[in-house]
This record gives sequence, structure tokens and C-alpha cells, in this order.
Amino acid sequence: MTAEFRLRQAWTIARLQLRRVFFSKRSSWVYLLALFPSVPFFGHAIEVKLSQSRYASRVTAAAILESIREGDTDEEVLKTAGEPVHERKFRRGPRGEASVEYRNLIYFDGERRWFLHFEAGILQNKRSRPLIDFEDDRKVFAGVFQYFYLRLAVFFGCLGIFMNLFRGEILDKTLHFWFLAPARREVLLAGKYLAGLIAATLIFATGAALSFGLMLWPQDAVELSAFWRAQGPEHLFWYATAAAAGCVGYGSLFLAAGLLVRNPVVPAIVILFWEGINGILPAALQKFSVLYYVQSLAPIPPPMDANAPALIQLLMSPADPPSTVAAVCGLLAVTALVLWIASRSVQRIEINYGTD
Amino acid sequence: MSAPEIVFQEVSKFYGEVLGVNHVTLRIPSGITSLVGPNGSGKTTLMNLMAGLIHPDRGVITVRGLSPRDPERLMRITGYATQYDAAPRGVTGLDFVTTGLLLAGHGKQEASRRAWKSLERVGMNEAAHRKVAAYSKGMRQRVRLAVALAHDPEVLILDEPLNGLDPLVRAETIALFHEFAAQGRHVVLSSHVLQEVDVISDRVILIANGMIIAEGHVRGVREEIHEHPSQYIIRCRDASRIAALLFEQDHITQVQVHEDRLGLLVATRNQREFSRALTRISLAGHTVESVVAADENVDALYKYLIGGGR
Repeated sequence: MTAEFRLRQAWTIARLQLRRVFFSKRSSWVYLLALFPSVPFFGHAIEVKLSQSRYASRVTAAAILESIREGDTDEEVLKTAGEPVHERKFRRGPRGEASVEYRNLIYFDGERRWFLHFEAGILQNKRSRPLIDFEDDRKVFAGVFQYFYLRLAVFFGCLGIFMNLFRGEILDKTLHFWFLAPARREVLLAGKYLAGLIAATLIFATGAALSFGLMLWPQDAVELSAFWRAQGPEHLFWYATAAAAGCVGYGSLFLAAGLLVRNPVVPAIVILFWEGINGILPAALQKFSVLYYVQSLAPIPPPMDANAPALIQLLMSPADPPSTVAAVCGLLAVTALVLWIASRSVQRIEINYGTD
Repeated sequence: MSAPEIVFQEVSKFYGEVLGVNHVTLRIPSGITSLVGPNGSGKTTLMNLMAGLIHPDRGVITVRGLSPRDPERLMRITGYATQYDAAPRGVTGLDFVTTGLLLAGHGKQEASRRAWKSLERVGMNEAAHRKVAAYSKGMRQRVRLAVALAHDPEVLILDEPLNGLDPLVRAETIALFHEFAAQGRHVVLSSHVLQEVDVISDRVILIANGMIIAEGHVRGVREEIHEHPSQYIIRCRDASRIAALLFEQDHITQVQVHEDRLGLLVATRNQREFSRALTRISLAGHTVESVVAADENVDALYKYLIGGGR
């Protein structure tokens, strides 16, 4: 048999397997994982859009709002700045004593929201915040992508997809069907891996792109246009690539795990722990990790809250990132090594459903 | 040109500490060969070993010169209808058969043509577009046979292939095996129904406890079967008297009177003579209420064969 024939055979296996991967009830929760980050970005976008339309009829000039000083009375402010976009009054005070009236007014200057806080009719505090901050939102996206998407969603998604490629067939008692095909076991492994990879990449790269799109949706048109002309497409490409690369690496790990162990919980915990401590491992050991390579492909480093506990900061801090070329080559090398181990293991698999 | 034999040389297979088969040495020529033995005797283990679904702990197997560890070549000449009932979820009978052919490297059109032909051979073309999961047991049996036949293999391995088939389909399927064997191919099947084996096979391999206890042409084994004492339970009024009358017969090897004195357990070497003797006893005025065979299954024969005919 020629290599070309085997490649065609692997592709046939992948095609046949794809439908099962996409529509498997056992891994339907993978879609929820992939779409989960889109939910807060969608919510944020809707909130911004609704606020923009609600505030549009009551825009107050920024110069007027800047002229307001602490110590001004609420009546003076209302006279100067006009009707606010939002107002709230309430009284509060210790029991048995006279309560104080509090009043919060919110103004909108077309870009920023101004929050004015009055106590007993006197302005105590004035601060303003942009309705939407592109820079902040991109940092939030980078954080969600690195801390949730790569470390958890892609990780567990790949567990759901790739562990089932062989383990699911054993549970369904259908693996013998593939073993009785005139194909080498390595070709079968390659075909199944390819099917898992296509499905996982489509699901998670699309999920990442969707979240990215939803993050961009409510942004200012001018800023957005500048972003697309500059680094926008590049960012989108690298987020999708990082998600796909995560699928390449974690997919191989969980495919091998599905051949070696029966219970997915054990390898999941072990690999999650290993990936979690990657940042504090010696440099040589860091290279035996998927996260080490994948996180350096993301275009923006994730933000780290300076107030977070030291242990969290230590675990979340990325290892010294390799160059993009080194990351891609390193990831492919780790994947090839794991797939080679898996191919040795698939040779030894026997059909004995009774014990599984 | 591959060697036209299936060869087992000193093959042993253990499942942990449980014996699958032990020191099996066999040469199976082309034609229909039946593996016969009670449940758990090692029939399926031998078949799985031949198809490479499991690997021997010791010994060597070749199927027409090919190693079961080389599925790429072996499964081109081998079709195996396993006892596993499951099919990939959601597939129709046609998909099920076509998929195997696509994996064998056939183009879509050729795979479809062969799949239809194979389904037609097993009488399943009308149900081809129905989901396998909705098939009856017999239909699933037939669609598995269609998968095994579809690529026109030289070796057909069939685990209990006649289970669940109605008499008409059973006869057609047996004819199919004969047609296949007549072309110089191997048909290796397992069964625990002796009458079935008697009709189908050119050659029989008897297995018990993972070991080959007899092998050869059907005639020799059939003689063993005819000599095998059959047991009957007789319900009657005067059991002691009937027991005495039966014991006078040469073919009766054992008579045991039941505790309630209203029944007998009788073992005979000749069923026809036993039937005549019972008729004579009834005509003589003794009341025989019922006669029930006590050992119509293959296990009884095996107990007999393993025990050296005692």
C-alpha cells in the first residue's frame, strides 16, 4: 500500500467519524463550553447598545459637566446641566436620628457617563467613565481567552471530544467495526485524530472568533475602523490560531489518554495540574506542556490583578514565552511525540468489551 | 499466492488469569469448518484471534499466509461477522455496509454498488435505508453478514451466524455458505446447535474449556453424537415396573426412579429403539403420561465427550 493510499484512507476515516464527533450526545456540552465566553461579551454589547440609544436624546456638553464643582447644590447642577439620563434619590441615617437625603445623577456627554453624588443637596463626588473602553475590553478579552478559554474551555472540550474517539467506541461496543477494516491501526488513529481536530478547531476557533466579534460589536466605529486597519485581523488570526493550537496539543494528549486509561477524570486532573504549574516549573520541564506554547501565540498578554493572592499570581503568570516559530515547532514536536505513544498503544488494544 | 490454510501453532490466550484458549494447534483447510462448543468454551476467542481483534499470548497464527497483526492486508481477504450486535449510531443498513467498503479503498459508486449486491445476497435490500438500530435481531444478524460478504473475501468468519434467523432465511444463508465454500474459500463459523453443524459443515472442531477436544470430518463426529446417550424424563403411574421393563433393553444405560415413584430418568444409546420400547410398554397396559427430553442441548454431548464416553 502506498503512503498516498493510506492518507486517503485516513481522510475517509476522518470523514466518516466527523458526523459522530459533531453530533455525539456524549460531547454536546463541548458547544456550551465554546460558546460560554460569548455570553458575557454579548451581554456587555447589548448593555452598551441599549445605553447608547437610551442616552442619545439627553446628551449634555462635556464642557458644562466639567464646569460643575464639588459643593454645588443639586438645584444648581440641574439648572446648569439640565435633565440627567438617570436619577436616584434615597434617604438613609442611623435609627432614631434624622435621616439624610442622598441623590445620584448620571449625565452623558456622548462618550462618557458622569456620576454625580449629592448628600443633603450638596455635590460630594463627581467622576466620569467612558460608556465603553476599547482598550479595557481588549484586555478583558485577553484575560478571558487565556485564563478561561485556553486553560479550561479548550482543555475540557478536547477531553470531551478526543477521549471519546476510542473510549466512546469501546463503551458503544463498536470499536471492532473499525478494527475489522483493512487499515493499519496507525491510519485509524490518524483518521480519528484528524476528525477530532477538525471538529475541535472549528468549534473553538469559531467560539473564539465569535467572542472577539461580540467584544468589538459595540465599540466606537472610528476606533474600530482604525483597529481593523492596524492590528485587528492579526489579533483575530492569532486568537483563532491559539485556540486551534490548543486543540492540536490537548487533542493528542486526550486521544492518547483515551487509549491508555478508562476513567477520563484521572488524566484530566493530572494534565490540568501539570499545565497549571507550568509557570513555576524549571525551564526544561516547561517545554513538555501544551499551555507553554499555546499561550505565547495569543496577541495580548493577559492582565493580572495586582491584588490577587500570591499563589494565584504565581500559577497564572505565564512562563517566559518562546518565539512564535519556536512555539509552533515545539507544539508540533510535543504533539508528534504524544501521537507516537498513542500509535504504539493502539496496536496493543484488544476487543474485549466485557471488561470495559 | 497465499497459503490456503488457517494455521494455529501452539496458540494460548489468557484474559488476565482466565483461560481463553490453551495450546491450540490447528490447520483449517478451505471449506466450511464449524467451531462447536458450549458457551465459554473458546469459540469466539479463536475467531477473534484469527481476525486480529485480540492477540495471542503465545503461539503463531496465520490466515492464508497473513498475520492477524497486519489488518491492512488480512482484512482485504477476510470478512468477520462478529457476535457484537452494535452498529455505529444512526447508520442505516446501507451506510453500514458501504462504510466498510469505503475504508477498503473503493470509490463511492463502487462501494454503493457492492453494498447493494451484498444486501441483496442476504435478502436485506428492502430494509437498506432503515436504521440498523431499528432492525430485528435476525435483520441485524443478516446486515452483519452483508458487511462481512461485501468485499468478496477469501475467508469468512461467522460467530453464531444462524442465531435469530427464521427457517427460510436460515436455509438461504446455509446455501450461501455452501456456494462460498465451493469456490475454494474458507467459511469458519461457530455454533452450539449440533443439528445445525451436522447440516452445514465439512469439518468440525470441538472445543471445551479452551482446548480442542476433537476435530475432523463431520461423519466421525456424527457417529459420536449418535452414540451419545440421550436422557428422558418419563412421568407414569407404575414407575418401578416400567423401570424394570426398560432395563431389560440393551440400549438403556441408566434408569433412575424418582422419589415420588411417579417418574423416571432414563438414558438410552438408541433413541429409535427407546421409542419402540415405550410403545410396547404402553400397549401392554402401562400408563405413560409424558416423555420429555432432558438433555437436548450441546452441553450434554460435551459432558459426554469430555468424560470419554462414560
